[in-house]
Amino acid sequence: MKYTSQAVAKPYFIAAIALFLGQILFGLIMGLQYVVGDFLFPAIPFNVARMVHTNLLIVWLLFGFMGASYYLIPEESETELFSPKLAITTFWVFLAAGAITVLGYLLVPYASLAKWTGNDLLNTMGREFLEQPLPTKVGIVLVALSWLFNITMTMLKGRKTAISLILTLGMLGLAVFFLFSFYNPVNLVKDKFYWWWVVHLWVEGVWELILGAMLAFVLIKVTGVDREVIEKWLYVIITMTLVTGIIGTGHHYYWIGTPAYWQWWGSIFSALEPIPFFMMTVFAFNMVNKRRREHPNKAAVLWALGTSVVAFLGAGVWGFLHTLAPINYYAHGTQLTAAHGHLAFYGAYALVVITMISYAMPILRGRAANPERAQIMEMWSFWLMTVSMFFIALLLTGAGVVQIWLQRISTTPMSFMAVQDSISIFYWAREAAGVVFLIGLLLYIGSFFVKGESRAIE
Amino acid sequence: MEAQSPFTTLIEISNYQSTTGKKNLPGDFALWIFIFAEMLVFGVLFVAYAFTRAYHVELFNESQLTLSRTSGAINTLVLITSSYFVVNGVSAIKQGLSKQCGYWLIGAFLLGGIFIIIKILEFHAKYAADISMSTNAFYMFYLSLTFFHFMHVLMGMIILAFIIFKVLNDGYSAKDYVGVETGASFWHMVDFLWIILFPLVYIIR
Amino acid sequence: MKQINSQSNISATVIWLILVALTLATWRIGEAGMVGKSAMLLLLFIAMIKSQMVANYFMALRHTRLIWRGIMFGYFVIVGGLIALAYLRSLA
Ligand code: HEM
Ligand code: HEM
Ligand code: HEM
Ligand SMILES: [Fe+2]
Repeated sequence: MKYTSQAVAKPYFIAAIALFLGQILFGLIMGLQYVVGDFLFPAIPFNVARMVHTNLLIVWLLFGFMGASYYLIPEESETELFSPKLAITTFWVFLAAGAITVLGYLLVPYASLAKWTGNDLLNTMGREFLEQPLPTKVGIVLVALSWLFNITMTMLKGRKTAISLILTLGMLGLAVFFLFSFYNPVNLVKDKFYWWWVVHLWVEGVWELILGAMLAFVLIKVTGVDREVIEKWLYVIITMTLVTGIIGTGHHYYWIGTPAYWQWWGSIFSALEPIPFFMMTVFAFNMVNKRRREHPNKAAVLWALGTSVVAFLGAGVWGFLHTLAPINYYAHGTQLTAAHGHLAFYGAYALVVITMISYAMPILRGRAANPERAQIMEMWSFWLMTVSMFFIALLLTGAGVVQIWLQRISTTPMSFMAVQDSISIFYWAREAAGVVFLIGLLLYIGSFFVKGESRAIE
Repeated sequence: MEAQSPFTTLIEISNYQSTTGKKNLPGDFALWIFIFAEMLVFGVLFVAYAFTRAYHVELFNESQLTLSRTSGAINTLVLITSSYFVVNGVSAIKQGLSKQCGYWLIGAFLLGGIFIIIKILEFHAKYAADISMSTNAFYMFYLSLTFFHFMHVLMGMIILAFIIFKVLNDGYSAKDYVGVETGASFWHMVDFLWIILFPLVYIIR
Repeated sequence: MKQINSQSNISATVIWLILVALTLATWRIGEAGMVGKSAMLLLLFIAMIKSQMVANYFMALRHTRLIWRGIMFGYFVIVGGLIALAYLRSLA
C-alpha cells in the first residue's frame, strides 16, 4: 500500500463480499420457489426475495466500486485521499441504510413500508431495481455525492490520469442518472422511458466507464505495459461505448408505446454495443501477452482476463441475441432476458469488482500477493463460479427458447403457466448450478483465511 | 523468427509504422476504428432504407418529391469542395507550410458551415410542414439519416477547428502531421457518406 | 519532393472537377425525372464511383495495404449491391 488512506477500501470490500453472499442465498431461494411454488411462503414471498436479490446486487456492486475507487484514486493521483474520515463515515451510513432497507423489505409488507417512508409525498417506489423507499434513495444520492466529492478533490490535488478521469466521469454519470429514479410520471410509457435511463444507461453506459478504468488499472499494475498505449485504447473503447450505448437505449423502446423509429435506432445502435466489449477482451489479452513483469498475484490476472471474456459473452453475445427488434418481438421478457441479465452482470460487474478486490486486498493486508495455496483456492473459485454461471445462462437460454416457441411462435400457443410447467427441468438444473456457484463463492471467502508463506511487498 | 502477434500488428498500425513498403492508413489508427464503425452504421441504414422502400414504393416516391433536390446537390458540391480543400491542406503541411495548411482548412471549415446552414433550412421547412419521424417510413429514414449525418458534419467541424488552431500555432510540421491526416480522414468519410446518401434519398426512385 | 506534391495536387484538382461534374449529372437526371431500372443503376453506379474516388485519392488509400483498399472497395460493392437488389425487387 503506497498511501495509508487507501486502507479505507478494506471495509467496503468486506461489505461487498458479505452482501454478495446474501444476494446468492436469495437467488437460491427464488430458484427453488420457481419449482416449489410455496417454498418459504408466506415468510418470504417470491417478489420480496426478488427485490432483495436484485437490490443486494446493486448495493454490493456500489460498495465494490466505491472501495475500488478509494484504493485506485490515491494511487493514480499520487496523493493521500482528500478525506479518509468522510469515506469511513459514508461507509457506515451506507451500510446502515442498506441493512435497514433490506430488513424493511423482509419484515414489513411493501405497501406499509411505502406508506411509512413518505411514498405519498413523492411517489418513487414499486419499480424493478428502484424499489427503495424514499429515504434510502435520498441516502444513495448523498452517499454518491460524498464519494464523488472525495475522489474529485483527491484527483484535483494530485496527478490527473486518463484512468482516474474516466473513473470519475463514470461515477458522476452514475449519480446523475440515478436522479431519474425520483421521476415517476403517471403515464406508464413515460415512466418506463425514464426508468431505462437509470437501468440501461447505468449498465450499458456510465458503468462501463468504471469497468474500463478499473480493468485498465489492474492490467497496468500486473503487466507493467506502458500507460500511453493503454490510455489511448481506453479512450477509444469508452467513446464507442457511449456512442452505441446512449442511442442503444432504444432497444428497450420497441414495444412500450414509444415512437416506431426506435425500432430502427435501437436495433442498429445496440447491435454495435458488443464492439467495445470485444475490444476490451482483445485489449486485456494482448496486454497480458505483452507483459513486462511476472506479477506474483496470478489470481488477479485470471480474474481480470475472466472479466473481459465473460463480459463480452454476457453483454456482447447474449445481449446481441435478442437486441434486434424483430427478434426481441418474440424474445422480450422471457427467460432469455434473465439468461443475459445474469451472465452480463456477473461477467462485467461482479467480476470486475472481484478483480479489484483480488488485486488490492493482499496489498491492503501488507503483502504483494496471497500465499500460493490461497491463490489456488481463488482460481478454483473463479472456475466454479464462472462455469456454473455459464451453465445458469445456458439453461435459462434453453428455457427461454422453449418458452418462446411454445408460447409465442407455435400455431397452437400454450398458456404461460402451462409452458412454465413444461420447462421445470431447466429450472431444477439451474438451481443445481446455483448451488455450485454458492460453493465457488464460499471457496473465495475461504481463501481470505488461508495462512502461509507470502511474499512481502516489492 | 517469432511470428507477429496480432497485438504487434495493432501497435505497429497505431504507431503509423510498417514493416512492409506499403503504407498504413493515413492518420491515427484509433480513429479508423470509428470510421469503419460509422461506415457500418450508415451502410446498414442505407440498405434498410432501400429494403423498406421496396415495401412502400408509392409512399417513398411521393414523399421524396417534397425534398429539395437542388439543396441536396448544392450541399454535395459544398462537401466535395471542402474535401478538396482538406486534401490541399494536408499536402501543404507535408511540405511544412503551416500557414497555407491553416488557410485551406479554414476554407473547408467555412464550407462545412454553409452545409449546416442549408441543412437547417431544409429541416426547418419540414418542421414547418409538421413533418416528423413519425409521419411515415420515408420521413423517418430521411430525418434519421440526414440528422445523423448532420451531427457528423458538426463533429468534423469541431475536429477541423482544433486542427486549425494547432496548425496556425505551428503545432504541426513536415515531420509531424498525423493529427492533420487524422482529421482529414474523418472529414473525407463525412463527405463520401453524403455522396451516397444524396442520390439514394433525394434522387433515385 | 516538392514536385511529387504539386503533382498530387494537380491530380486532386482533376478528381475534384470530375466529382463536381458527376454531381451535376446526378442532379440533372433527378430534375429530368428519369426513373426505371437503368436510371437507378446508373445513379447508384455514379455514387459508388464518386465515393471510391474520394477514398482512393482524397483519403489517399490507394497507397495503402491491400486490406484497407479491399475493405473500402468491398463496402461500396456490398452496400451498392444490396441497394440495387432492393430496388430491383421493387421493380419486378
Ligand atoms: C454489462 C452490460 C449489461 C448488463 C449488466 C445487462 C443487463 C440486463 C438486464 C438485467 C436486463 C433485464 C432488464 C429487465 O429487468 O427487464 C437486460 C435487458 C436487455 N439487454 Fe442487457 N445488459 C448489458 C448489456 C447489453 C448489451 C451490450 C446488449 C445488446 C447488444 C443488451 C441487450 C439487452 C436487451 C435487448 C434487453 C431487453 C430484453 C427484453 O426485451 O426482455 N444488453 N440487460
Ligand atoms: C404485447 C405484449 C407485451 C407488452 C406490450 C409488454 C410490455 C412490457 C413492458 C412495458 C415492460 C416493461 C419494460 C420492459 O421491460 O421492456 C415489460 C417487461 C416484461 N415483460 Fe412484457 N410485454 C408483453 C409481453 C410479455 C409476455 C407475453 C411476457 C411473459 C412471458 C412478458 C414478460 C415480461 C417480463 C418478464 C418483463 C420484465 C419485467 C421485470 O423484469 O420486472 N411480456 N413488458
Ligand atoms: C447463483 C445463483 C443464482 C440464482 C439461483 C439466481 C436466481 C434468480 C432468479 C430466480 C431471478 C428472478 C427471475 C424472474 O424474475 O423470473 C433472478 C433475477 C436476477 N438475478 Fe439472479 N440468481 C443467481 C445469481 C445471480 C448473480 C451472481 C447475479 C449477478 C451478478 C444475478 C443477477 C440477477 C439479476 C440482474 C436479476 C434480474 C433479471 C431480470 O430482470 O431479467 N443473479 N435471479
Ligand atoms: Fe439495455
